[in-house]
Amino acid sequence: MTRRVLGPGFWALAFAAGALGQSFTERGFLETDFIGYPQTAPNDSGQAIGEALFRYEAFYKLDSDWQFAGGIDARADTHEQVDRAWELSWDDRESRRPSFEVRQLNATYSKKKLTLVLGKQFVRWGKADILNPTDRFAPQDYLSVVDSDFLAISAARATYGGQSNTIDLVWAPLFTPSRIPLLDQRWSNLPSGIALTELPPSFPGGSQFGARWNHIGSVAEYSLSFYDGHNNLPLFNFQEPQPLTVDVERYYPQMRMYGGDAAIPLKGVTVKAEAAYFTSATKTEDEYALYVVQVERQAGEWFFIGGYAGQVVTEHRSVFDFAPDRGLTSAFLGRAGCTIDTNRSVALETAVRQNGKGEWAKLEYSQAFGAHWRATAAFTLIRGDESDFLGQYRRNSHTMLALRYSF
Amino acid sequence: MSSASWGWTPVPRPTSTPVARRGGPGGPAQTWRSAPRLREHRSKLARPGGIGPLACLLLLAVPLAAQDARQIVAESQRRGRADSQRYEGSLEVISANNKVSKKHWQSDRLGSYGNSKALIRFTEPAEVKGVALLVVNHPERSSDQWMWTPAIGRDRRIAQQDRSTRFFGTDFSFEDLEERDVGQFDYSLQGEEAIDGAPCWRIESKPKEGKSSQYTSSRVWIRKDNYVPVQYENYVKDKLVRRLAEKDIQNIQGIWTARQLEMTDLGRKSRTILKLENVRYNVPMKDADFTVQALRRQM
Repeated sequence: MTRRVLGPGFWALAFAAGALGQSFTERGFLETDFIGYPQTAPNDSGQAIGEALFRYEAFYKLDSDWQFAGGIDARADTHEQVDRAWELSWDDRESRRPSFEVRQLNATYSKKKLTLVLGKQFVRWGKADILNPTDRFAPQDYLSVVDSDFLAISAARATYGGQSNTIDLVWAPLFTPSRIPLLDQRWSNLPSGIALTELPPSFPGGSQFGARWNHIGSVAEYSLSFYDGHNNLPLFNFQEPQPLTVDVERYYPQMRMYGGDAAIPLKGVTVKAEAAYFTSATKTEDEYALYVVQVERQAGEWFFIGGYAGQVVTEHRSVFDFAPDRGLTSAFLGRAGCTIDTNRSVALETAVRQNGKGEWAKLEYSQAFGAHWRATAAFTLIRGDESDFLGQYRRNSHTMLALRYSF
Repeated sequence: MSSASWGWTPVPRPTSTPVARRGGPGGPAQTWRSAPRLREHRSKLARPGGIGPLACLLLLAVPLAAQDARQIVAESQRRGRADSQRYEGSLEVISANNKVSKKHWQSDRLGSYGNSKALIRFTEPAEVKGVALLVVNHPERSSDQWMWTPAIGRDRRIAQQDRSTRFFGTDFSFEDLEERDVGQFDYSLQGEEAIDGAPCWRIESKPKEGKSSQYTSSRVWIRKDNYVPVQYENYVKDKLVRRLAEKDIQNIQGIWTARQLEMTDLGRKSRTILKLENVRYNVPMKDADFTVQALRRQM
């Protein structure tokens, strides 16, 4: 009886799966990381951290016009950087990484020169590789400052144009902040002995809007961009209700950006440049310009990227902020990598402050085993003065071992 | 992947058996794009005045031979024309010490020779699933290429000077993925030679002045019976650096198609075998699916 009832349903599902298979793709991985810190930090004695991340993404193309994408992250760790509450997060506003998170969920409609994307999605602007001043719709997870990861935003995006010229309009009704280091952990670099209390953050209302025109020519690519919204990196209010007790409140200043970027392939190297000028109606936020100039070259199995990131402050107003984008300026940036063979690669990234007060370097070796497994070993070295953005993390040099199974 | 000269997108070089095709962009009219220039060139040389008939004949011999070689190549390309092509590629990269890594991709191509656009998207192994390459070919210059890496959510334009590097661990370089117009090269007929028992023309091609290529010259063997190219050799100066062998040639929808391509990198002593599965021609495709915007759609 059961077989008779289930039979037609089973075949219907099997047929549907077969039809779906024509336009359905999925991918993901399970990764476990071990991170070891040789030194303790004043506010964090932990020296060994274990992390696990399961990521699943699926894509379905309904027809030639419609496409859907969805993805989820599930995390766990030993250092309470991941929230212990088993809840599904959509807006990424938690201080800790959520244990379950909608990584992306969006619908794409494309017709002739128009592409519309609606939902939680990644929006990346800019052409430089190490620092992108114009990348305003790309908040990041900075819990471990030098190993950041991008967060998706809830937005509507319309792109119109062909191969040569495109106009990109982005409207984000819900603000997504960058995730900053936890106050009780080493990457916040706070002194011990002070009772810090984090007050509920003040998230801005209203929406964010941005527009970008991009041109692809035979000799160069360049774009102009505009953003009006809020900085996804916070400023801080400190209050001292009683001695040795400090209340901290995050808030996010209004921001307007005027930017541009270009990539020009020359005979020997490709030159990339990106710059943006930021103004703010918030009285405690600086007004400043960030710029990056870099050259890159691929030679055989090697690639090289080298450049300089700079900053010009036109009006200094902020007191307490967390700004890794500005912290990486006035610095020489470099990246080099080599593909040893089809399974092995090695890479080196570095940033050296112009005044010599902060250095960061990361050496990474990665090897694949078969079609699914990859092991990665990395060593990150940080040196410098306490007063420098990079140098303040000098106790956070670390090693990382990762094992990933991809499917 | 081609030989440098008329390059192709990882699109098997088809030949033979002309099929009915539309005119207009990508149609037969473009196939002989270079012919009028050749005729003009010849007529100038033959113009009387100062040069004696014998000298004229001697001078004519070279361009005529060049035209023959060009016409053979053009005919080979003409026979492989289709509005579009789709296939699933299965790759085996075999290193010098016989380590084998396997990859799969899906290739879509819109148009043919010169004006075509191609999109290659890896489907396996899992860790590179979604990585994609867009190649936009131009009749008058080198192609534009962009690579999409979903893990970092960025597209990267492949600069001209980087085209000689290997494409994603295979023995094909980025330049080998181009599909170039016949008018971008000079050709000369070098002789005749049998490959696997089949009589072939051996043709040498060199990039025209102002044309950038990692290869100084290339040679192709084209079968005389059906105009199928069966082997390419690519040289840097006088050194042979890459050899491409095309095998398992089958007639698919009226187009002779090599189902197996073997590229050997003689410097690295490694080779890549690409097998083409589920090859289909004239599949409906949209021009809008071959843009940088479309490249970012992660299917």
